Amino acid sequence: MQLTIEDVNKSFGDKRVLNSINLQIKPHEILCVLGHSGCGKSTLLNLIAGFLQADSGSLTVNDAPIKGPSKTRGVVFQDHALFPWYNVLTNIAFGLEVQGTPKAKAKEQAKEYLELVGLQEYAENYPDELSGGMKQRVGIARALASGPDILLMDEPFGALDILTRDTMRKELLRICQELRPMVVFVTHSISEAIHLGDRVVVMKGGEIAEVFEVGIQHPRMYDHPRFTQLMTEIEQVLMGEEELSQVIRD
Amino acid sequence: MKNATVVSNNTVPIQKSSVLKKRIDFRTLFQNMLPIILFFILWEVLGRLNQEFNWINPLFLPPPTLIISDGLVLAETGIITSSIISSTFRILAGFSLGCIVAVLTGVIMSRSRFVETWISPIINLVGPIPALALLPLFIIWFGIGEFPKILLIAWSTFIPVLIYTLDGLKSVNSTLIRSALSLGANQRQIFTRVILPSAIPSILVGIEVSLGLSFSALVVSEMMGAENGLGYIIVDARNYFKISNMFVAIILIGLEYSLFAYLLKKMKNRILFWRKGGARAAIETKK
Repeated sequence: MQLTIEDVNKSFGDKRVLNSINLQIKPHEILCVLGHSGCGKSTLLNLIAGFLQADSGSLTVNDAPIKGPSKTRGVVFQDHALFPWYNVLTNIAFGLEVQGTPKAKAKEQAKEYLELVGLQEYAENYPDELSGGMKQRVGIARALASGPDILLMDEPFGALDILTRDTMRKELLRICQELRPMVVFVTHSISEAIHLGDRVVVMKGGEIAEVFEVGIQHPRMYDHPRFTQLMTEIEQVLMGEEELSQVIRD
Repeated sequence: MKNATVVSNNTVPIQKSSVLKKRIDFRTLFQNMLPIILFFILWEVLGRLNQEFNWINPLFLPPPTLIISDGLVLAETGIITSSIISSTFRILAGFSLGCIVAVLTGVIMSRSRFVETWISPIINLVGPIPALALLPLFIIWFGIGEFPKILLIAWSTFIPVLIYTLDGLKSVNSTLIRSALSLGANQRQIFTRVILPSAIPSILVGIEVSLGLSFSALVVSEMMGAENGLGYIIVDARNYFKISNMFVAIILIGLEYSLFAYLLKKMKNRILFWRKGGARAAIETKK
């Protein structure tokens, strides 16, 4: 399983959102895409998901071009996008059911993923009854349940509070170690990117500014010298001189 | 949060917790009824005083007790029972016909571009015409039987339900469609499992809104060329200047409408049990 992005361009009207993006993502890799809002990182993710089409260039998975959304590429959305009229278990079983798994068997399998995210007690609850972090766990379980090769995550923890974010990162890493999918994780948090990613792609103005190899063993600590060094380097790439001096003062 | 003591943990699904609310709270019931009771007492007093002092013709404003006794006399002739039965039948037939056809039309229109380009201009053309204006035409076309009445009720229900259905089908959250697509759903599954459920709240609003319109259509259609029905009682009472009978029919229409609105609300809550929130849930107040 290899995802290749070659010379991809994308514009909305006159506005150039992505400018000749080249990227190769290896199997089982966790790739974090980092950047300010409006830098094109979500657009890149939507292209990989197949929700958008590139103006030029190619996106291929194992040499097969991406033509549209596919169950091999699971997506976790920032606003979780759970179906509010289905309970938690049915939400997770949705993918299996629409792909033709018999209902009882789909529910059975969904239960395993519910346990994976630690919400087995909430199988019968409806999304509106859950907290933000719990909803996002269900979102992750739902994306994983249909057995995708690639997991695409669009700022999944962006709406969560800092403590929940921390727990969710650890959970995600644990799940990734267990299931070993390829993950493309879009975020605007530098520490989150370093915490999770095998590589961090920094985007700026629709282009890839720089790619960093993280190379720290899990679990990663914030006081690790490499962690601090990466934080500084990425900050320098992301921000101009003026902003940078402000960050240090803050 | 009185229920919290009954529910042992927060994993109980919504349907069960709503059952717990069934204990009738007589105090709130009384509080809700009090303004209505006061209204009738005031009416009674004014009516009686008016009969004493003749401020306006006492015939014009009969007190509630007189209306009840006149209503009982009227009931003995059997006209009230038969009127309620035929009015209920007409409203049930016309209203459900209008709702079903409107939802089906809405679904077809949202699925097929052809139908939308060829049918919606026509609906936009005839939609704004008040349904009641069509009644004389319907009577000439279809006679004075049940059919034109039911058709008029159905038509006055159809337009609003259709508009709300189309709106609901169009305003589905696109992220939900994206997530269904990435989970491997095909177009048909997306329609039945995502678009339709997300349109249901809007469809139900349309149905609630059109209930009032369909009752107007019922009353007007019974005022023109009918042998029974609550609207007929009103016209008949006018012809014989029996104002109290008019009030009997008006009150019965009000009661029947309230009953239907209540049943619709119950049905809506049942269907939309998964929906939480709204203004009521914004702030919890101490009881």
